[in-house]
Amino acid sequence: MGPEFLLLILLGAPLSGALISLLPKKGVEMVSSLVMAAISVTASLIILISEPSGTYGYFYVDGLTRIMSITISAIFLTSVAYSIFYLKRIKESFLRFRWYYCLMNLFAFTMLLAVTVNDLGFVWLAVEATTVTSALLIALERERTSIEAAWRYTLIVSAGLVISLLSVIFVFSSQGTLQFSTLLHQPPKNLMIMSMAVGFALVGYGTKAGIAPMHAWLPDAHSEAPSPISAMFSAVLLPTSLYAFSRTFVLLQGTTTFADLQNLVIGFGVMTSLIAAIIIGHQRNYKRMLAYSSMENMGIILVGIALGGIGILGAIIQIVSHAFAKSAAFYSSGNMVAEYNTTKMSDIQGVIHRLKSTGYLFTLSCLSVTGAPPFGVFLGEFMIMSQAMLSGNFLLTIILAVIYIYAFIGLNRQTTLMVFGQQTNVSTEESSQNSTLSVHDYEGKSISKPKKENRLSILIPMINLGISLVIGIYMFPIFLHAVSGMK
Amino acid sequence: MVFVVPFYEEIVGFLGISVLLSSLYMQGQSFVDPTIRAIAIQSLLITALIVILFLHTDDLNLLYLAIITGVMRGIVFPLVMLYQVKHFRHKLRETGTSQKTPSLVLTGIIIIIIGYAIFKSVVLPYFSNPEISIPFVLLLLGFLLIITRKNSLTQMCGYIQEENGILYMGALIAPGIQLLTEFAVVLDVMGVVIIGVILSAQRDAFKTLEPSDLDQLSG
Repeated sequence: MGPEFLLLILLGAPLSGALISLLPKKGVEMVSSLVMAAISVTASLIILISEPSGTYGYFYVDGLTRIMSITISAIFLTSVAYSIFYLKRIKESFLRFRWYYCLMNLFAFTMLLAVTVNDLGFVWLAVEATTVTSALLIALERERTSIEAAWRYTLIVSAGLVISLLSVIFVFSSQGTLQFSTLLHQPPKNLMIMSMAVGFALVGYGTKAGIAPMHAWLPDAHSEAPSPISAMFSAVLLPTSLYAFSRTFVLLQGTTTFADLQNLVIGFGVMTSLIAAIIIGHQRNYKRMLAYSSMENMGIILVGIALGGIGILGAIIQIVSHAFAKSAAFYSSGNMVAEYNTTKMSDIQGVIHRLKSTGYLFTLSCLSVTGAPPFGVFLGEFMIMSQAMLSGNFLLTIILAVIYIYAFIGLNRQTTLMVFGQQTNVSTEESSQNSTLSVHDYEGKSISKPKKENRLSILIPMINLGISLVIGIYMFPIFLHAVSGMK
Repeated sequence: MVFVVPFYEEIVGFLGISVLLSSLYMQGQSFVDPTIRAIAIQSLLITALIVILFLHTDDLNLLYLAIITGVMRGIVFPLVMLYQVKHFRHKLRETGTSQKTPSLVLTGIIIIIIGYAIFKSVVLPYFSNPEISIPFVLLLLGFLLIITRKNSLTQMCGYIQEENGILYMGALIAPGIQLLTEFAVVLDVMGVVIIGVILSAQRDAFKTLEPSDLDQLSG
């Protein structure tokens, strides 16, 4: 099997899944989505192992493409599997479930297209198409807040992406082509136009990646979307936008304006992480808290991309391990939403007493995404900070260290209070499953015994968290090997 | 065969200025209907401009782009948006911004002057055609409309204005770009999703297009 054929399978599987999902037969949407996601994962695994590199028809493959493909398809698979559990709690939905699965497949397809296609214009088209396919998924639960979040997401992100289209037009205006493989070997013909293109790409794709100050949509969309969709947003959609930006940014490597652009990008990255790190600790809604944590991670990844050297390696490791850990956190939060029917932290205390496995999984996922060793995010953050130090930028090193510590304390303090705090006295009527056993403590207050949790809802976040752990311990050589051939 | 357009530069300049004036007119409206009609006129003006460019360059992509712009943004979107307005008994007036429209027009004029000054000193030296400053300013005015208004339909008009600006600029500085028409199609699909589905859902859920009481979505 040639690489082009594998790439066609990788993209064709979710596209077929989308079409099959619409067939009017009960259950076919779930099965087809699962099967197609599994095929997509298999194809991307073979691509990762066989290490194709270069141009294949309309596609361009390098180490970053291979790693992004496997990450997107793996998160797609786990999100489809988790949806089987999560959708049971939704009584009245904005979309029919077959449309939900269809759009989810299309969402994965557009992200995979964005990271594999060779033409920067098509990269933009694919990133814009992710907005079309995902906007309606946010409003699935038909709440007033989720509809408003979908509106804000669509308007802000689309308005921002128009700016990145300006970047594409400027690149074409200067270089006369949009083929990435050609652009890589072509020095900028008009350095100023290309520099402006990078600036516009930063603002445009940065809006989609949740880079401050264009991040207004991010906490709303993440907190209001169903948990499997929040997981896909945070784990793979934001990095896909950063990938699109990095493809324009790299074109100016080695030019006289590159140092200035590097400083600009680092500035945006630091500002994003700092704002998010400060806000995390003051959140009242745990899904919004996770959203700000994603923003903090994206800021650090942006700094890694701008720094270059081992910073790039750190950024890639952080993208992958954050994807698995954050999706685990969102799936665990989905278990809590299903049980408590609320996302307010003040209404949920002592999760561990009621959802024991979920409580531990949520805590460990939060530790992982904030860079606790030995999870992969720690390795990524450490490498980015090391690159800052190696490049002699001690102020940046100190700022990064402060951000890491602040975000770590902010997120984990809130999580600990929620998971291990005194148990909330919730009546069985409020429980969506109506299966919690009520007993009385020595003061006569009603408390609930741990309930038996759905196996699927525990297994999926456990697998993702496990992968994040394995990345931190064993997988460094694989990433190093993948990145070594990249410009 | 390239068609020789008489007074080409004068026509392009005149249409460009008319587009800017339509944008300023929108900034000054506190009712939604005239804003929608103005965006329709603006889109048709841009269609005319792209047709002139097509006749001047003989690039078929520009003709396709003109057709898409004229049909979708000049006719379909405004009609669908006016249909949304009909759902409300009274003419839609923006309660949040109606008192500020004169100052918004002034802000618009200031943005035009500052935007042009920045563009002239930073961007223009690297391009051969000075008229590209108009779509750049149009883009900024589109943002102004989105940022300053609370009504979803007016915000949508701001978004369409941004689209107009970007395709106008694309047609001027990179007419050879093969994907320009595809870009327009994707942007229009986006528009259909926003106007057709999300706006309807918002209208049904809130009974208004200026939702403002959502404490959960803050912080």
